[in-house]
Amino acid sequence: MYGSPSYARLAPLLALVVIGIVLPPLVPQYFLSLGNTLMMYAILAVGLDLLLGWAGQFAFAHIAFYGVGVYGTVLLQSKLGIPFIPGVLIAAALAGLIAFLIAVAAIRLHSVYLALATFAFAESAQWVFNSWEGLTGGADGLRIAPPSVLGWTTGTDARAFPVIAIILALVIGATMYLTRSRLGRSLCAVRDSEHAAAVSGIDVFRTRIWAFVISGTYAGVAGGTFALFQSFVNPEAFGFSQIVLVLSMVVVGGLGTLPGPLIGAVLLGLLPEIMRTAMRGLFVWQELVYGLILILSMMFMPRGIWGLIAARGGRSK
Amino acid sequence: MLISLLQAIASGVVTGCAYALVALSLVMIYKSTDVINFGGGEMVMIGGYLAMFALLAIGLPYAGAFVFAAVVAFMVGAAFDRVVLDRMLGRALPGQSVLVAMVIATVGLSYVLKGLVRVVPYTEEVRRLAPLFAGDPVFLGPIILQRQDIAIVVIAVLLMRAWWAFFNFTLLGKALRATSQNPRAAALIGIPVRAMRMTIWGIAAIFAAMAGILLGPKLLMTPDMGSVVILAFAAAIVGGFHNLPGCILGGVVLGVVQNLVGLYISSRAIVLTPFVVIMLVLVLRPQGLFGGAVVTKKV
Repeated sequence: MYGSPSYARLAPLLALVVIGIVLPPLVPQYFLSLGNTLMMYAILAVGLDLLLGWAGQFAFAHIAFYGVGVYGTVLLQSKLGIPFIPGVLIAAALAGLIAFLIAVAAIRLHSVYLALATFAFAESAQWVFNSWEGLTGGADGLRIAPPSVLGWTTGTDARAFPVIAIILALVIGATMYLTRSRLGRSLCAVRDSEHAAAVSGIDVFRTRIWAFVISGTYAGVAGGTFALFQSFVNPEAFGFSQIVLVLSMVVVGGLGTLPGPLIGAVLLGLLPEIMRTAMRGLFVWQELVYGLILILSMMFMPRGIWGLIAARGGRSK
Repeated sequence: MLISLLQAIASGVVTGCAYALVALSLVMIYKSTDVINFGGGEMVMIGGYLAMFALLAIGLPYAGAFVFAAVVAFMVGAAFDRVVLDRMLGRALPGQSVLVAMVIATVGLSYVLKGLVRVVPYTEEVRRLAPLFAGDPVFLGPIILQRQDIAIVVIAVLLMRAWWAFFNFTLLGKALRATSQNPRAAALIGIPVRAMRMTIWGIAAIFAAMAGILLGPKLLMTPDMGSVVILAFAAAIVGGFHNLPGCILGGVVLGVVQNLVGLYISSRAIVLTPFVVIMLVLVLRPQGLFGGAVVTKKV
């Protein structure tokens, strides 16, 4: 799978943008808010999948880069008056830079060691968000002033929805090109066997570092979209349960595929909403249900929902 | 000053012994199945709650509570392997790795155990286990030790001795070690590898649960107390993750370092200790302080 994606594959992106622009006046605010959340998770999950599914790096630091994206975008706007688009680009670049430093420090590590080192970094980052009260407001949190995108003030869900839909479409499009590029194929080669990749002339270290940087940048962009539709942020949004949530979106959806993390983001993103509204009385059972879903989906779909669909359809991914 | 330092070290050794038991549980599973058990912390937590249930609801003495928790924990661990992991391995196509899926399943296990404990009405209020031994504290020179602290160390050391003897001197223990070293060769000489793996999961769950009982009187019992597992991960990393005696030492080191951080830096930084230890050790000396070379799999 290489070369430019066909127009048939790019068409859904156009549809996403059109839906993003047409939908807001037609549906209730609740669904738009839910849609914004799901689209933000989709960006996060696609970014994590690049590192986890495509490059095979078992790393858990994604939520920390997301946090850098959120606080970066918000603080650049409130303290320095930088508008949203340059702000989110700088914040995402900062997230990518930190991911680069982590990658260089952890480049010798694999499997359990890499997982624990990056997990420890994510938890430390959350501690920093909690303790750096002068900048982040600590546990009391930080108010987010509605950002302005090219003169279009977001801040309500309806006004943020088209912007986030466009960002998501751009991210998915970029991922399509990336996974079909030379770098994308190098990622897969490194995942399948570092030794075989190295003898094929792939610079394994450089490829692994790129995987971290790109994935961290995606997380930074996702953090920027958070600032578009939320009015408040506190460090609880960057804890262990969020790490596990995004990780399960990727794995339940299907590692190393593009539709997989999108499906996972929608399904697992909806789950808490369904538990909270439709099954109100069962809310205390939430953790149990969530755990069972994880276990059962891993038992019966170890390659995720999209892995199962692709296998049924007789297609290779 | 010196006294408070000695006191901090002494109480660090006490909690460190409990961390070491959890680290043993994690490393045992990792060595024999390559799985990182993210449900290890919740096995600690159910250990504490099972003991509380045995003490308060059934009315068993402490010794009975240990046995009760051990039996139930063994069943939980073994059942998880048999019902979930064993099937996943059995369904995997040749050449297809289900390791990531197995690790995610252990995350699922942690949520299931936490969720179960949360819906049991018994656990609604925050409690603390009764002290293992009541009585006046013991003065060891200038250091004050609670009687139960001494009991914690003694029980932890006894458990480790029993574990060591079991794996070195019994036929079952030797078969378990053979299985974790080379499952294929073990199968060839007639060791029932699947049953062995299940037993490892059961024994690992027992060790985690015992740590839960020992920590129960010292920590508040909540369904979230499984977060102590991060200290055990740090202990295992210090020991090298392949090295069982190393991770016992690592547990004690972690307990002491945690107290020293609280004493000399700030009490706010205590929660950060395991994460900083993990990162420092992995970046500077990835094989662990006591480990040999890192084993990597080629191709």
